[in-house]
Amino acid sequence: MMIHLEHVSKHYQMGAVRVTALDDVSLTIDQGEFVVVLGPSGSGKTTLLNIIGALDTPSTGTVRINGNDLLLHRAADRFKFRRETVSFIFQTFNLFPGLTALENVQFVLDMANAPRNRERAAEVLTSVGLGERLHHFPHELSGGEQQRVAIARALATGNPVLLADEPTGELDFQTGIQILGLLQAQAAAGKTVLVVTHNREISRIADRVIELSSGRIVRDGPPRDGKAAISDLQW
Amino acid sequence: MKNWRLWLRWSWRDLRKRWLQVLAIGLIIALGTGVFAGLGGQKTWRLNSYDLSYNRLHMYDLKLSLAEGSFVSQDKVLATLEGIPGVAHLETRLIVPTLVQAQHGEKQVVVRGRMVGVDVSDGGPHINSVYVDEDSGRTLTNTDAGQAVAVVEYKFARHYGLQPGDPLHVSGDVTLDFVGAGHSPEYFLIVPETGTFLLGEASFAVLFVPLETVQRLTEHEGLVNDVVFLLAEGADRETVRAEIEQRMAAALPATGFKLLDKEDDPVYPALYNDAEGDQWVWNMVALLFLFGAAMGAFNLAGRIVEAQRREIGIGMALGLPRRWIAFRPMLIGVQIALLGTIFGLLIGWLLSQFFARTLRDLVPLPYWDLSFYLPGYVRATALGVTLPFLATLIPVWRAVRVAPIDAIRSGYLVAKGGGLSRAIAHLPLPGKSFTQMPLRNVLRSPWRTALTVLGIAIAITVMTFIVGAMDSYTSTLQRADDAYRYMSPDRILVDLNFFYPLTNQEITDLAQLTGANGQPLFTASEAALRLGGTLIRGDQEIDTVLELHDMDRALWVPHLLEGALTAEQPGLILSEKAAADLGVAVGDTVTLEHPRREGLFSFRMVQTELPVIGIHDNPIRPLTYMPLQGAALMGLEGVANQVILAPAAGMTRETIKEVLLAQPGVASVSSIIEFSEAVEDLVALITQMLAVVQVVVVILAFLIAFNTTSISVDERAREIATMFAFGLPMRTVTRMQMAENAVMGVMGTLLGLAAGWGTLQSVFTTRAEQELADMRLAITIEPGTILLAAVLGVLVVGLTPLLSVRRMRRMDIPSTLRVME
Repeated sequence: MMIHLEHVSKHYQMGAVRVTALDDVSLTIDQGEFVVVLGPSGSGKTTLLNIIGALDTPSTGTVRINGNDLLLHRAADRFKFRRETVSFIFQTFNLFPGLTALENVQFVLDMANAPRNRERAAEVLTSVGLGERLHHFPHELSGGEQQRVAIARALATGNPVLLADEPTGELDFQTGIQILGLLQAQAAAGKTVLVVTHNREISRIADRVIELSSGRIVRDGPPRDGKAAISDLQW
Repeated sequence: MKNWRLWLRWSWRDLRKRWLQVLAIGLIIALGTGVFAGLGGQKTWRLNSYDLSYNRLHMYDLKLSLAEGSFVSQDKVLATLEGIPGVAHLETRLIVPTLVQAQHGEKQVVVRGRMVGVDVSDGGPHINSVYVDEDSGRTLTNTDAGQAVAVVEYKFARHYGLQPGDPLHVSGDVTLDFVGAGHSPEYFLIVPETGTFLLGEASFAVLFVPLETVQRLTEHEGLVNDVVFLLAEGADRETVRAEIEQRMAAALPATGFKLLDKEDDPVYPALYNDAEGDQWVWNMVALLFLFGAAMGAFNLAGRIVEAQRREIGIGMALGLPRRWIAFRPMLIGVQIALLGTIFGLLIGWLLSQFFARTLRDLVPLPYWDLSFYLPGYVRATALGVTLPFLATLIPVWRAVRVAPIDAIRSGYLVAKGGGLSRAIAHLPLPGKSFTQMPLRNVLRSPWRTALTVLGIAIAITVMTFIVGAMDSYTSTLQRADDAYRYMSPDRILVDLNFFYPLTNQEITDLAQLTGANGQPLFTASEAALRLGGTLIRGDQEIDTVLELHDMDRALWVPHLLEGALTAEQPGLILSEKAAADLGVAVGDTVTLEHPRREGLFSFRMVQTELPVIGIHDNPIRPLTYMPLQGAALMGLEGVANQVILAPAAGMTRETIKEVLLAQPGVASVSSIIEFSEAVEDLVALITQMLAVVQVVVVILAFLIAFNTTSISVDERAREIATMFAFGLPMRTVTRMQMAENAVMGVMGTLLGLAAGWGTLQSVFTTRAEQELADMRLAITIEPGTILLAAVLGVLVVGLTPLLSVRRMRRMDIPSTLRVME
């Protein structure tokens, strides 16, 4: 699954002021890459994630996923794209409060008309270490457990692209490390994983770090001091 | 704290974000306060207007009516009754049934009616005066004495568009000069002897004619059968009654009579009770609206406060006093209150104008007092301001009492629980997880669900009650119609002006009548008796219309629920309602007070104990039947005052009435079909009124549902955005919301139907007994009404989320997800 952006820019008009969130960004991400998009607040990293995930459209430029131009898609097609190609993991988890952990994962499987969705959901949750918490509601789970449910939900359908926005932002260090471990495992299994963060420490475990500043790519390459193991991380 | 502008600006932004929801709640409050304001004064209007009209036209204090068929010398009556202490004035009258033929342009009408012969000497009548306004001709004057002139009762004239000068004829083909259309107290409503309001103004014509003229036309020169009295101020009514009874019994022992207070008049108490009853109903409807609005306001306020929870916490953290923290959410309550009150007063004013016009139309009185009813508007304003204020105060009060740290928490640490959705978490519900979500969402917030369900239930309760009341009334009328028409449905009823022997021409000639082409008008005939009386058992008394038929040969006999049409000795066939009210069954005895002939023109009222031999199915209480052999009890063997005729094929009612009008002895002619037509007309009128009710209920249900959906979309914006982020199509999300609304709609509809039914039962068993004593109302809710409730409560409510599609389509998904930079 190849993601290709070509001269993508995104502008917002805030009254009389024109804000440029992304400025002529071009990049290609190959299948199985674990990419961290790094930058301070306001650098455009979330906008980039949203555009890749078809939640937003660029003002100029093209976005191709496996050769298909997203901009040529109708709204219905973009919905389908999000069902079948990308999966999101949010900083604030965004679980459905009225559904149990099992049902939150089952939800996306039902959308995809997957068979044996209840069993599959249970398997995925167990694989992220929540086998004992299937029937708990989100408010009965800790932050880390909720983020695991969110990851399980993202993994359940087997979509080839995972887009994670500050997945450890609400979590303590230990829990954050566990979450990063799960994401890294997915990349190792062949999925394309894109993690957006302002935490430079997290970028050390990536295959590739794309640094943004004021909407522009200022660096695109391996981690500055080489790829580190998760166990080496500290923040 | 003194920076009012900042707070008002902030509140303005809050309002702009939620203006549609605030408007919706405000409109609901406006409906409730509007009904209070606009209709709060209807009882006062009506009571004041009745008082004014009755006083100015000098409604009688006492009325003496001779037994049916009795006439006495006017001079003798006046001599007997003159000089009674306490009587300020008395007047004699001659009241006789007649057939009335009137015409305006091409339109001709022939109906049953009554001539009221009034004393016009000395500018009378001075009791139960006849008032004619300047646009309707003139009233009777003393120069009209003995002249063939008439004032036609106002409502009858208005119904047919009759104008003074239009041709007017009465029985015997006598022409009267139509000089004016007027009002008189006894006829502010037209109530026939069967006690219903059904055969009203369109089918019964009252003519006010000089006394001497009626005496001459009916060949009762010098005779009267009615006296009305006005008492002097401070006179003791019971003493006067006793004196009248004593003098009459002494002077005219063979003549029966009834002495009525004005409170016994069929119309007088009905008008006053109606006003009270209607006000009660309007107040209840207004309260229901306001209750629904209060819950909507409570719902909205609670959610607004919840949405501002973190900001409340931040305020607390900054040290802002609680009263200032409360200020911003309370302003929402004030805005709702202002909107609701201002719109409510406007709606109230419009309603009051509409109602005043309708009132004047339905019950045209000579004098109306429709002054501005300030207390109604004051009450409405108080309610319109207080309710939303209180509804906002409660959640705000709770919110500012939360510990600051709990208020300021964010993210997953304040995720709300599953509510009651845990209860079904392990239930194997059909469908996918996102098809189960609507039910989960309903159970997740039980308190909010309850408020919404109650709001919908209230709208359905109002509708069920009002429409159910109409259903009950129309179904009762339909049963009466069925009872009349199950046999010889087109029969003609001819009331004679006196009791004639069966062999008299006045009776025998009728069956032989032919039309213009020589064809017989009728194929069969039956002679019968029809009298007024009273059923008595214990301290219960019921006025009745007694019909005596030869049950073996009659063209029509009552359809029985129990008992038999004949028995070895004369007996009574009562209506179901009369039997229930008297507490009797077949086999029990009842006292019948009835006229007994003592002389050619004199009847005395006597009481006879009679067995109940049957119970018939007509819901009209006063109708009582007896086999013809019972005529002997009344001294009326071998005579009749009514002839029932079966029309020949092809003979029209108009032809028949025209021919009958010219026959001697014919007082009035009516057709059973006219009853059916009157029922149809009333049902059509009721249906029109129902349309207004249905529109109001649709608006109310829609506003409540719209508000709920709109609030839900706001509250669940992140959930909805998350679903979109995972690719769930918009139509699926919309269907989920519709399903959720439909679930609440079903709950609300079922609750509303049950509450409406309960209200109907409660109101009918209490108020109906007072106001509709003459009908056996079977409380009915038609299947169509239930279907309508389902459509309103489920379909309309369920479809409301479609109005949010545009908002969801325009949702900025990333912002809503709060993806942070």
